[in-house]
Amino acid sequence: MAAELTRSLADLRQADTDSFGGKSSTLGELIAAEIPVPPGFALSCEAFRLFVEQAGLRGVIAHALERASSGDVDAVNRASHSISEAMHSAPMPAAVRDEVTRHYAELGDVPVAVRSSALGEDSQEATFAGQQETYLWIRGAGQVCDAIRDCWISLYSPPAIAYRARLGEKDEEPAMGVTVQLMVDAEVSGVMFTCNPVSGDPSMVAINASWGLGLAVVGGEVTPDDYLVSKVTREVVRENISSKTVEYVPGEAGTVFLDVPEERRDIPCLDEPRIATLVDVGKRVERYFGSRQDIEWAFARGDGELFVVQSRPVTGIAKPKEEKKPTSAMSLLMSTFGAEKKQ
Amino acid sequence: MQRVIDERGSILATSTPIAGAFPSPYEIETPPGCEGWEEMYPYYAVFDEARRDADEKRFWFWNSMHFPVPMPAFDVQCIDSPYQAVGAWQNRVFAVPPAMGIDYRIVNGYVYISGNPVTDPEKMAERAEFFQRRASYYFENWSELYEQWKSRVRALIDEVTNLPVPDLPEYEPDEVMEGERNTAFVDVLDSYQRCLRLGDLMWQRHFEFLLLGYGAYATFADHCKANLPDIPDQHIAQMVAGIDVLLFRPDAELRRLARLAIDTGVDDAFVEGRTPEEIDAALEQSDAGRKWLEDLQQVKDPWFNMATGDGLYHYYRSWLDDPSIPYASLIGHINALKAGEQIDRPTEEIQRERDRLAEEYGSLLDEGARQTFNELLGLSRTVFPYVEEHKFFCDYWFLTRWWNKLREFGELLARNGFLNDAEDIFQLGRHEVMSALDELVLCWATGGAPRGPSFWPPIVERRKELLARLGDWTPPPALGVAPEVVTDPMTIMLWGVTTQRVQEWARSQDPAATEVVGAPASPGTIEGPARVIRTIDELADVREGEILVTGSTSPAWAPIFSKIKATVTDVGGVMSHAAIVCREYGLPAVVGTGRATSLIRTGQMIRVDGSAGVVSIVDGGAG
Repeated sequence: MAAELTRSLADLRQADTDSFGGKSSTLGELIAAEIPVPPGFALSCEAFRLFVEQAGLRGVIAHALERASSGDVDAVNRASHSISEAMHSAPMPAAVRDEVTRHYAELGDVPVAVRSSALGEDSQEATFAGQQETYLWIRGAGQVCDAIRDCWISLYSPPAIAYRARLGEKDEEPAMGVTVQLMVDAEVSGVMFTCNPVSGDPSMVAINASWGLGLAVVGGEVTPDDYLVSKVTREVVRENISSKTVEYVPGEAGTVFLDVPEERRDIPCLDEPRIATLVDVGKRVERYFGSRQDIEWAFARGDGELFVVQSRPVTGIAKPKEEKKPTSAMSLLMSTFGAEKKQ
Repeated sequence: MQRVIDERGSILATSTPIAGAFPSPYEIETPPGCEGWEEMYPYYAVFDEARRDADEKRFWFWNSMHFPVPMPAFDVQCIDSPYQAVGAWQNRVFAVPPAMGIDYRIVNGYVYISGNPVTDPEKMAERAEFFQRRASYYFENWSELYEQWKSRVRALIDEVTNLPVPDLPEYEPDEVMEGERNTAFVDVLDSYQRCLRLGDLMWQRHFEFLLLGYGAYATFADHCKANLPDIPDQHIAQMVAGIDVLLFRPDAELRRLARLAIDTGVDDAFVEGRTPEEIDAALEQSDAGRKWLEDLQQVKDPWFNMATGDGLYHYYRSWLDDPSIPYASLIGHINALKAGEQIDRPTEEIQRERDRLAEEYGSLLDEGARQTFNELLGLSRTVFPYVEEHKFFCDYWFLTRWWNKLREFGELLARNGFLNDAEDIFQLGRHEVMSALDELVLCWATGGAPRGPSFWPPIVERRKELLARLGDWTPPPALGVAPEVVTDPMTIMLWGVTTQRVQEWARSQDPAATEVVGAPASPGTIEGPARVIRTIDELADVREGEILVTGSTSPAWAPIFSKIKATVTDVGGVMSHAAIVCREYGLPAVVGTGRATSLIRTGQMIRVDGSAGVVSIVDGGAG
């Protein structure tokens, strides 16, 4: 049986992580949990392997990496450059191209986002391994295929090569999945944590939001509006409305970076009902995965529908001030009055 | 140097005592025309040179929560007796390890207080043994002890209500001759002393449970904040607060009566602007009206034993004495009902929300913390009926009866020319009243001419003038040396005076400040014109849509809460009455600002952010 190259996002589950990467399989799980996720499809690692094999790139890659093994910066850059050139001119395997074209047509010739779907769990690692590429507002099957190839090429970016070299993984062939997803023309978008990442409070949802596509918030290009919302009552406990000077919006090709008109800069970009919607979705995602989540979301222009475009476990949060040992109600009560037992 | 963790768990600037932030109590000037104000108060109640070395170095804060206006001489009894009682329980019964009792001093008529800490570790360890044994006994037997407590306090209320104030007859009755009763001079002196003693007995009960009750709540709140650092204070309060609390009954009865008035067609009698007497007269015209008045009569005892203020001054009467507050409330409820509004407290909803909050917060904690959370919540809910209800029994019901009993002694003195008016009795200290009564019964017995009628009235007049003048003086929130850290658990729990609050007071001493910070007590942000209320008489000035700015509020003020948009107080924590009532009415509230009433003037536009605890003056307004 031929290896599976693509699959609809709705049919993916956590068990497919090894073949399709974390992002795609998580989106599949979100769809299964009836969280509103833009529809799309995923490419497996096999699609990448088929590409490398059919284009006969293995030798080129091995040869280039051989020369970069010293870890010398120039050598790494040269290796990356030659691999990238070779991959660019290599054709997409017909089987992959056919399946992508079919899936894309099913989506309905719409703008899509093409992102890498990393195999490692840890996002820091995935970044260094070159598995964090995102191409937005891509239209047409040909453009989609080009974006997919760009994702693959990113596996051989200079930092990715250097990183793997340091880990001693240079001999192991890297691989990644790719996610292709209907693109939401976001009026407002951002990130939410289903806890306060600063204090560690699990009863809070921390929301960062700004105008336009999520790029500006994720990339740190604007100071977003900052909301801390009670998970329990959906009340805004704290908010910080910033001056949101720039936004990304869809353009003719890809996205454009614009100044936000004066009158929209300083007003809150979320209202109470939208905050409540976000908190509800955040709680559902958290409950489904059983852990604190870091969720990217967007409200669509027009009908204002909320979409979750990504979710991953929160790592490295502060823990609330922990009591040294389990303390009974009575001993805490005594210490309120300064009457704790001397140890 | 200490790091200060604020209520939200974020670390404020490293703090040191702010030198000179507050004036020395020995530098406070007497307002013009108020020279000699000290003569109104006991010799031990003032800052004197003999104690200067110690007193100047201490931290004193204005207890504006209980004493927002200058103290009349008699009302000092409501400082002495409670502080005798709170000290006795805290220091001598429970032996709270780090804290003895509370000292007070009066400055220009205003009451400043300071706790006496225990610092010797050995002494604290010794006290801890007492505390653990005795506090555990109370917590383990709480419900039973509280039932006992209620019947004891009810007995005191009955006794003060029925205490006879004998008149001085021309001739004693035969019973004296027959050995069945004392002569009137003994009865008058006995009765007055018993009246004072009943006050002491009430205060003794008042503080029996209070520290432990607040402590259980504070422990639950601390546990919540340790595990859920961002949890709003009001959610903690909501999880604990009682549903069928006695304090809500009086207003619930008024709502019922409002509905009854409409159902029986007598609501036309309730016209805005009519006095209670005029309304009663209108009701007397019809059978249905008379029936309604009968119904009202049945509700009055006990539910009209609400005080019109927070109880500690003689001029806070009860609804029985001054029905204008409940009648205003009736008119408001009737109008609201006619406008189709829902006026009932949604008790089921409150109950559901309270249980939902507890369930959801509990489920967010890990197992160990959840178990402690549930135990402390259970304990807090057990003690809370007392925390909420003791005010009704002690501060309102008992005290309004007690002040009225003293008015009877005032009448006795006035009838005999010692006072121009019965109400003037409150311008004399309790020992001065004893002295006046001594002379009165002496001259009654001897038939001689009393000195009192020429002696007391000028003193009374001078003191009334002093109180009026001192009322215009603005007391600073604190005196003496600001502490690095406030550690006294009582100061923190009962007055909400935390390290952070003291730092804020110190910063806000800047006269150009346009912002005061307090505890966020009820969420929401709103702007509106300020109405600064210092005394109960000014309550009638409150207009629709204003923001109430006051020292502290009482649940008896409930009727005006349907008019105002938000509340700001000088003193109080998130469990204060202002906070509880505002949450009930969904109004933003900031409490414990230290000096809102002195910074903000009536008519200024202010913004209240009840979520952040900030009050800002938006513009100067008419003030």
